[in-house]
Amino acid sequence: MPLWTNFTGGLRALFRKPEAERDMDDELRAYMDAAAEANRRAGMSEADARRAARVEMGSVESVKEEIRGAGWESALEAFWTDIRYSFRLLAKTPVFTGVVLATLALGIGANTAIFSLLDAILLRSLPVSHPEQLVEITKSTLTNPLWEQLRDQQDMFSGVFAWGNASFNLAQGGLVRNADGLWVSGDFFRTLGVAPAAGRLLAVDDDRPGCAPRAVLSYNFWQDHYGGAASAIGSTLVLTGHPFEVIGVAPRGFFGMLVGYKFDVAAPICATTAFDGRRSRLPQRSWWWLKAAGRPKPGIGMAALKARLAAMSPSIYGASVPQNWDREMQERYRKRVLEPFPASTGLSFLRKQYEDPLHVLMAVVALVLLIACANIASLLLARAAAREREMAMRQALGASRFRLIRQLMTECILLSLGGALLGLAVAQWGNRILVHYLSTVRTTVFLDFSPDARVLAFTTGIAVLTGLLFGAGPAFRGTRGSLTTTIKETHATDRGIRRRFRLGVVAMQVALSLVLLVTAGLLLRSFRNLAAVDLGFDQRHVLVANVNLVKGQTPAAFQQIGDSLRAQPGVAAVSQSWTTPLSNQEWNTNIRPDAPNPPKGDAALVYFNYVSPAYFETMRTPLLAGRNFSNQDSATAPAVAVINETLARKFFPGLNPVGRTYQAEGEARKLEAPVLIVGLAKDAKYEAVQEATLPTVFRPLAQIEGMGTSVNYEIRAALPVDAVTRSIQKAIADVNKGTSVEIHALAAQVDDSMTRERMLATLAAFFGALALLLATIGLYGTLSYLVAQRRVEFGIRMALGAQARAILGLVMGDVVLLLIGGLATGMMLSLASTRFLRNMLFGLEPRDAATLILSAALLCFVCIGASLMAARRATKVDPMTALRHD
Amino acid sequence: MGENSGSLVQGTLDMLILKTLALEPMHGYGIAQRIEQISGGVFHVNPGSLFPAFRRLERSGWIKPVWKPTENNRNAKYYAMTERGRKQLKSETEEWGRQSAAITRILESC
Repeated sequence: MPLWTNFTGGLRALFRKPEAERDMDDELRAYMDAAAEANRRAGMSEADARRAARVEMGSVESVKEEIRGAGWESALEAFWTDIRYSFRLLAKTPVFTGVVLATLALGIGANTAIFSLLDAILLRSLPVSHPEQLVEITKSTLTNPLWEQLRDQQDMFSGVFAWGNASFNLAQGGLVRNADGLWVSGDFFRTLGVAPAAGRLLAVDDDRPGCAPRAVLSYNFWQDHYGGAASAIGSTLVLTGHPFEVIGVAPRGFFGMLVGYKFDVAAPICATTAFDGRRSRLPQRSWWWLKAAGRPKPGIGMAALKARLAAMSPSIYGASVPQNWDREMQERYRKRVLEPFPASTGLSFLRKQYEDPLHVLMAVVALVLLIACANIASLLLARAAAREREMAMRQALGASRFRLIRQLMTECILLSLGGALLGLAVAQWGNRILVHYLSTVRTTVFLDFSPDARVLAFTTGIAVLTGLLFGAGPAFRGTRGSLTTTIKETHATDRGIRRRFRLGVVAMQVALSLVLLVTAGLLLRSFRNLAAVDLGFDQRHVLVANVNLVKGQTPAAFQQIGDSLRAQPGVAAVSQSWTTPLSNQEWNTNIRPDAPNPPKGDAALVYFNYVSPAYFETMRTPLLAGRNFSNQDSATAPAVAVINETLARKFFPGLNPVGRTYQAEGEARKLEAPVLIVGLAKDAKYEAVQEATLPTVFRPLAQIEGMGTSVNYEIRAALPVDAVTRSIQKAIADVNKGTSVEIHALAAQVDDSMTRERMLATLAAFFGALALLLATIGLYGTLSYLVAQRRVEFGIRMALGAQARAILGLVMGDVVLLLIGGLATGMMLSLASTRFLRNMLFGLEPRDAATLILSAALLCFVCIGASLMAARRATKVDPMTALRHD
Repeated sequence: MGENSGSLVQGTLDMLILKTLALEPMHGYGIAQRIEQISGGVFHVNPGSLFPAFRRLERSGWIKPVWKPTENNRNAKYYAMTERGRKQLKSETEEWGRQSAAITRILESC
């Protein structure tokens, strides 16, 4: 209870101030009266009695002050006074305040932006009910039969669900308009515990074999495409040519289980049959396309769950063995074990790719903020010097040093909190840019950046921390002077210690800037290396058109479309292929060459593409030996292949591969019929720019089994891309208006492959430049200040005959020392820290000497330039004015 | 002014005030007087430390203010001890007894 009486007493004193003051006055007066009365009784005269009482009491005001000081509310009041006083002072120096706020807004904004990205990708819980209970069931994907066994056999989850990604085409003919889709099992929404924003969500009964096509929209899709109208419920939505009934809308902010991606439309798993045609994926025992998760029953811990899942794994796997696998693989399949993993933050492909870069960026922006702090500390030191007399005066009038420091620190915290507020705005803007950098041409990254408690706590935390960091030094130094020395001091006094401190701060900035410049340099050079990689094809001026046939069109239509494309103006060459390079669509299997010592196991894995004869010409991938495909290599002609150099080196070392054969492993690892190698193509990238080129087999498109209804056209344009894009649309519509096509530049695919590196390099370069700018400003400002302080000294020296050159030497001597110290420290820091970049660098080592030297040279050059500008002012001192000044 | 005798051992003022109030509610001057009288003039409490001590004790909930007419019929602020104050006094007195006995033992042992 003491806490409570203390609290209420304090509140009463705060909010009933006049009353409390009156009480205090009355009480003290009563005391005086009583004392005087006692004195009178002791025989003093009336006047003496009163005086003695007053002497005993001393200063009434100071007694009152002591009484007030006994409660906590006085500290609060003093704090409030400090805040008001600080506000007034800051408002009086708008330029200073503005510069500090802008610097902080940038620094804190950058930190907040990167941290919100890190938060959104790595830390944030899913926006569903009790996300901490969710459990991912095995890290691998599942087949539908496996999922059904899991669903029907499990007994320790209150709900399990599965989902798979889909891409739907909203357009009916013409340019494709993609919608991100989600196949979900019946219990998906119920288990996640989300409530519909409108209509109802999919339930168990909607996901039965032979189900009616029903779909749930995401909130954003509902807003964007239906304006949030209630009439959307019950309407028909055509997805890739199949009509679906819209039954409801998912809640705002709900994006499913995959962080970084959103869905537009969710449909039940059973509805896949309409899309798969004759070969439905539902009974397939080796079509891996689902992910599973669940919510355990209350009271079932992770250990119990793990044990139970392990115990029932043989039965679940045993009932879904792929029949066409060979015995050995089936045995291995039966021995698999389902494992639970916590899934409160959902799943994400972004995590693995961006976890390290995000930590690097976090360190980079922290350094930028540190450099900014040093600049502000510098400014504050100059301000403290100007306020030295004020401080000494206040101390002389009775303010304690603690009191002054507290007030100065209040100023700093106010500044940093103001900076943080602006920084939050900067971060909102920065986040949009960041997401843009993460997104690729074909995938838009969707992340929730609404500031959550964690981000706000982070921003407030760094704001207070930076306030203390840049404020503490100046506050302690600024209040140290004693009254007499300060008032006697003139600007002529060379404050040696302070100068060294300030130069030290700048040297630290130089060191940190060097670290950032080296980081930026390494990442930029790495990106340049990547961009300069010989891809093995020429992506410039090539468009990729992905064409989907409509019902009733036969693969013969592909030929017609190709002819129609070739006839368009501005089209230099056209080819067809099953996949295009760096498109993430891939096909691989093991092969066995008819050569000695064939590679075994994973080493025998090669990648496939099916292409038309014009492919090599359109892509400008030269053939080095043998022949190209021709129209004679038809479905009925002998099977032929063109291989790339890497494959030749690996499978036919020292041999001429042309004329030899290989056999591919089909399903269940059965060897298929031999294929004759007729040509050798130059190496070209298949999966990613970063890869060591993959061994690749090209087969004639005419010899592909089960063509499907989708094919890629590569079109080399001789006219501007826009014009050709229109021609392509026209050419395809000429054949059939219902055909849908998606068109993008091959160069965009190449760019997408370097998204991570581009983002890192761009941001590191930006922050490196910012650091350089801040350090230069810091150096220039500090030198200008020091030069101004030594004006009288320089004036005397010049009056005594010193040459401008000698004066310049005096100032530059400091600069050289500072640069040597700063660069040496920076070098050591760089050498120690850049190894964290190892996994992010392409084609160079973290301790790349050229980058290190170039960065140091750049920093040196800029710093010396800035110092010369400041130092020249020293030589312009007119001895007479300088001497008269003080 | 080199007098040491008037200053109190740190932290004992609160205990003395509580002890004074154990008998009856008193006003500020009365408390100061009582402490001085009973100590035989050894302790002299000045208002500068007395009133902040009242504030502290009040905030701790050990004493509470009551308004009563004085001898010359003016309303004055008296302080009365609370139940919790009584407990506090008891424990502080015991603690003091233990400590002073210990100190005395130490001082006499040499």
